[in-house]
Amino acid sequence: MTELLERLSSDLAARAAALQGTVAAIRLPRERHVSAIVWPGDALVASEQSLPEREQFDLVLPGGAEGQARLAGRDPGTNIAVLRLSQPLAPAALAPGEARAGALALALGADGTGAASVRLGLVNHAGPQWHSLAGGLIERRIALDLRLVRAEEGGPVFSAAGAFLGMSTFGARSRVLVIPAATLERVVPLLLKDGRVARGWLGVALHPVAVPDALRGEAGQPSGMMVMSLAAGGPAAKAGIVAGDIVLSVNDAAASGFRRIAGQFGPERIGRKAALRLIRGGTVLSVDAVIEARPAA
Amino acid sequence: MSAVLRTAPAIALKVLVRATDPARRELLRRLVVDAGHLPVDSPSAADAVLSDRLPAEGFASMPEPSPLFTPREVEVLAAIGAGLTSKMIARRLAISPHTVKFHVESLLRKLGARTRAEAVAKAREQTLRNTVEF
Repeated sequence: MTELLERLSSDLAARAAALQGTVAAIRLPRERHVSAIVWPGDALVASEQSLPEREQFDLVLPGGAEGQARLAGRDPGTNIAVLRLSQPLAPAALAPGEARAGALALALGADGTGAASVRLGLVNHAGPQWHSLAGGLIERRIALDLRLVRAEEGGPVFSAAGAFLGMSTFGARSRVLVIPAATLERVVPLLLKDGRVARGWLGVALHPVAVPDALRGEAGQPSGMMVMSLAAGGPAAKAGIVAGDIVLSVNDAAASGFRRIAGQFGPERIGRKAALRLIRGGTVLSVDAVIEARPAA
Repeated sequence: MSAVLRTAPAIALKVLVRATDPARRELLRRLVVDAGHLPVDSPSAADAVLSDRLPAEGFASMPEPSPLFTPREVEVLAAIGAGLTSKMIARRLAISPHTVKFHVESLLRKLGARTRAEAVAKAREQTLRNTVEF
C-alpha cells in the first residue's frame, strides 16, 4: 500500500516535471500574473477573460527567462486569447486527448518564476458541446473537481497519461472549466490569421417573454423573444425589425431558448438568410433578414 | 479594496461585472464610476477595481431562463420604472386602471417583490442577465 502511494506520488511529480515546459506566465500590473500555454508556432494561448486590454505583454518563459509577446487576437465567445512571441521558443509537444468523467486531471499553472504549479483533481463533468453567453461554441463541457488561484487560470490541463485536455478557466462561481483541446485547435489558427473569430449577427438584443394567451394558438408556442434593442444599421434594423417585436423562430429554430437559436449564428451563416417569424401588433408575420458578420467590438 | 467594493451599490456592480461586451462595459463603467458610485479618483484606479472584480463572474454559458413576463407586463414594468402612476400607465397603454393593477399584482407575484420599487429593481437585474445579443 505504501509502495502504491509512493509510486502514485513520484509518478505525478515526474509527469508534472515533464510537462512544465508547456506553461508560461503573462505579467500583469502590481506583481501579478496569469498563466498561458506554450503553443506551436511561437504562440501563447491564454484565457481571454483574464487578460487586460493591451497589445504588448511581458512574460516569464518556462525555465525563468524573460520574454515579450504581442496580442494576436482574442475571442470572448470561446474565451481564447492568442499572443505571438517576440522570440522563438521550442514548444513542448501537446498530444490531445479526451476528458472522461471520473478520470484524474492535472492542472498546471505558471508560478511566475519559470516553473509550474500543479493541481490534481477529477474530471468532474464531461458533457456535450455548449454555447457561451458571448455566443461562442465550445466543443465539450468539461468541469474539474479542483480549485485554482487566479494566477493559474489559462494553464494547460492534462490527463493522468499526459494527454492534453485543454486550457483551464473560471466559470460561474469560480468553478474550474476546461476549454477543450478541440476548441483551441479550431480557434487558435483563426486568431493567428485574422485576429478574431467571425460570428453570425442579427444586431438585436433579445429577452424571453411569454406569448399572449390570445396569440398562443396562432404562434404555436408559449414563449418567444422580445426585441429589446437594435443595432443601428444592423441586419435586423435593415430588415425593418423594430423594438417590441416578439421573435417566434429563426430559420425554423423556435425562439423558446437562447441555446436553441444560438446554433443559427455560426460563422457559416454569414451572408445567408435568416427567416424570422414574429409577432407585431397582435399579428404573426414573416420577415427575412440577411445575417452579417458581427462587427469587431 | 474590499472596503471600496462594499460601498458600491451591489446591483450596479453585478451588472458591470457581467458585461462582456467592451462597449457596454465602457458605458456601464461611466455610469457606475463617473456617477461616483465607486469612490475612486482616477480612471486607472477604476479599471483596477473593475479588473479585480471581472473574473469573479467567470466564463458563463448562455442562460436558459424560464419566461417570465407577458409583453404587456414588460410594458407595465417599463412604465413603473419611468415613475408613472397606475392612472398614467392606464392612459398610456389604453387599458383600464383596474387592468393595470392586475398586471402589477402579477408582476409582484412573479418577482417575489412587495413594492413596485422592489419589482423594478429585481426586474432590471433579471432583464440584464437574461438579455442576449444575436
